[in-house]
Amino acid sequence: MSDVAIGIHDVTKRFGRTVAVKNATLEISQGEFFSLLGPSGSGKTTLLRIIAGLEAPDGGRVTIAGKDVTDLPPYARGVGMVFQDFLLFPHMTVAENIQFPLRMQHANRATRDERLAWIVKLLRIDGLEGRFPHQLSGGQQQRVALARGLISRPALLLLDEPLANLDRELRKEMEVEVRRYQRELGIPFVYVTHNQEEALTMSDRIAVMRAGGFEQVAPKLDVYIAPATAFVASFVGHANRLRGNLRDGMLDWKGHRLALPKIEGATDGDAIDYFIKCEHLTIAPAGTSVGANLNRVDGTIRDIIFKGQVADHLVVLGDGTEIVVSEAASLPRVKAGDAVSITWAPDAGRSFRALDT
Amino acid sequence: MRNRLTPITLGTMLVALYLFLFAPVIYLVYASFARDTVWPFPWHFTVAGYVDLAGARAYQQALWNSVVLASAAAFLAMALSAMGSIAVLKYRHRWRGAFAIIIVSPMFVAELLIGISTLIFNRKVLGLPGNMGSAIVANAVHGMAFGFLIMLAQLVRYDWRLDDAAQVFGAGPYRTFWYVTLPNIWPAMLGAFVLSFLLAFNNLEISFYNLGAIPTLPSLAWGSLRYGLKPELFALAALVNGVVFAAFAVIYALMRTGLVRFGYRGI
Repeated sequence: MSDVAIGIHDVTKRFGRTVAVKNATLEISQGEFFSLLGPSGSGKTTLLRIIAGLEAPDGGRVTIAGKDVTDLPPYARGVGMVFQDFLLFPHMTVAENIQFPLRMQHANRATRDERLAWIVKLLRIDGLEGRFPHQLSGGQQQRVALARGLISRPALLLLDEPLANLDRELRKEMEVEVRRYQRELGIPFVYVTHNQEEALTMSDRIAVMRAGGFEQVAPKLDVYIAPATAFVASFVGHANRLRGNLRDGMLDWKGHRLALPKIEGATDGDAIDYFIKCEHLTIAPAGTSVGANLNRVDGTIRDIIFKGQVADHLVVLGDGTEIVVSEAASLPRVKAGDAVSITWAPDAGRSFRALDT
Repeated sequence: MRNRLTPITLGTMLVALYLFLFAPVIYLVYASFARDTVWPFPWHFTVAGYVDLAGARAYQQALWNSVVLASAAAFLAMALSAMGSIAVLKYRHRWRGAFAIIIVSPMFVAELLIGISTLIFNRKVLGLPGNMGSAIVANAVHGMAFGFLIMLAQLVRYDWRLDDAAQVFGAGPYRTFWYVTLPNIWPAMLGAFVLSFLLAFNNLEISFYNLGAIPTLPSLAWGSLRYGLKPELFALAALVNGVVFAAFAVIYALMRTGLVRFGYRGI
């Protein structure tokens, strides 16, 4: 398939006794925005460094644009990269930093200047060319790092948590912009992050990683709506985990009998983790009549945390368990201390057989 | 209750401190211009010592030998300590602690012993006579230990991931060093060079045993002591101090005017 821009075939990497990446196999298409999402230590950065050539895999092959690059050093791979902490060269001006990849390719001065003019315009950093990195703000450094990664029009761009050091407002803005550059340039971006919002905002597809392996590789909506494993269900989005036992096809959770989607191969008495996203729960004053086919638990509102568009309602059940319900905050029908009912459609949640604690 | 120092107390203390530090040097310069260097009171100005020094071929030859010895030894020491510090800091090997200790170990050996053992080893095992080459190498080993520590202290701040970045953007190992590493670490290398140069230039024991009959400034000065303190010795000492002082004054002026930053970027 000629559409495959990056191929990772059965790649494994060990550091001493820890396995950082194990048997990873993945294909990323031309023009795709692909995110590697996982907690720290899940192997996502190691996998990115293997694609860049900064780490040599212990096993497996890496291809870029159909060519096996596994044994090539980083400087022969022709990839662009944006590093965490930017890693701008402190002794070079902005222009020298951005033009560095072209200089290493022995591009002539005219080409270098023409490309520089193009990229500073694209990234809106014109006027900063003569400054040194330490004279720039975090957001400007970020754009310079992006410009340096893109100026040579690489076959792909690797991004290693590039927005992690920016403040929240700037990060939101850059998420949209990074996505826009990827669309305009039409090259694949491989984006490493531990921030699910970033991954969900920008990506076409997401690979959720844990302990060196892929938990799920799927379009972002699938990852969000239909998590393949309990880990994905708990890591992506904000969900309540209800752990109980299967009884007569229902979930017996702390004395509540709840309907749940069928689980293949589960039998009576099995321990079950049922995940329901906070925004799929509905809150109503106690006593409101509810549909017969909805799950329902009753409790008291302990606190309401206002977040803007939504508010997190912390509801304490009779036995002290806390459930978080995200609802629009615009109509405050309830307040702290109120007795409420929480209801939801059973198939809005996902159930898995509980594996470990 | 006021327990702050009054300006007068503070001033007196400062003057006393600087006198303690520099009185010998000032006296030396003062005496070098005196007709009687042994007891230069009252002072009769003369430059006879300097004239003697300029006319003494032995001193000129010794100065030349010292400069050659110190430059070559310092260059070697700088290169070795740069390689050592990069090895220890960039490639975080399991045994890097042991490696670092081996590099600094010449510091703990008395210079006299380095001199004698190098001489004996070269003579008995390698069959080499003592000459400029072996003196340069022996001094470089000594300078490397100090240069390594200087570079280590400065390079802990260097982010070696910059080398990764250079490689990803198409620079091979040599161009990575030339375009990215070197421009960032040269002030540390210069520091190692200057220190090794001064150590080798002023060194008596290591050089003396390896050089045999070839004179350096310290060995000549030491040898001439046996015939009493001559005026040209005062002139020589004053000149060496003057050159060092001038060098630091120039560096200070350059940094103040921003012409040279030595890697300092006001971060």
